Amino acid sequence: MSALDAGEAVVTFPDGLPGFETNREFLILAREDAEPFVIVQGLGPNAPSFAAINPLRVVGGYRAVLSGEDKARLLSDDTSELVWLAIVTAGAGDTPTVNLRAPLVINPRSLRGIQLMPAESDYSFEHPLQAA
Amino acid sequence: MLVFTRKVDQGIIIGEGIEVKVLRVGRDGVRLGVTAAKDVPVHRLEIYEEIRRRNAAAATDAATLVSLVTRLKTSREE
Repeated sequence: MSALDAGEAVVTFPDGLPGFETNREFLILAREDAEPFVIVQGLGPNAPSFAAINPLRVVGGYRAVLSGEDKARLLSDDTSELVWLAIVTAGAGDTPTVNLRAPLVINPRSLRGIQLMPAESDYSFEHPLQAA
Repeated sequence: MLVFTRKVDQGIIIGEGIEVKVLRVGRDGVRLGVTAAKDVPVHRLEIYEEIRRRNAAAATDAATLVSLVTRLKTSREE
């Protein structure tokens, strides 16, 4: 049982996120009243926050590939336990979209995370947000 | 920007132990080999920049986040 299962954990992204490289710590909040969305709140001054969602809730059968380097950075050898979160973009007036191509991947044991940056992917950076 | 002329099998070294070598020069592109420690992330620049743009568009501040999630929930339930 990890802190994430309890709905709240601080996760370290050792490389930060592209565009926010200096923000390494994010509070991940899986609150029941936010379901199915998860709050990814940057810690520290001017840190960015994001709304995210399990990509499986958007596209049934979602499956992305982790490289050996990705697994090493997550300190994970059991990929079945990893938590996947796709960042949601909701511009004013536009249909919200989900970044299925570059999801956040978190190891709930080590509480380390990365943003996946695949060179090739079948998934879109802006998949329309709709129920799977 | 530093500019080098390198031939196949030549390269450059960046800092301590990041090596970039020219493996092949073809009509469609130049094949590079990067040798770096496992904890040094290496990505294709244009993909990194694309994700940087996407992240910036999605980022909000903690105060706005709750209303954003509420709005998302509403639009999903419609």
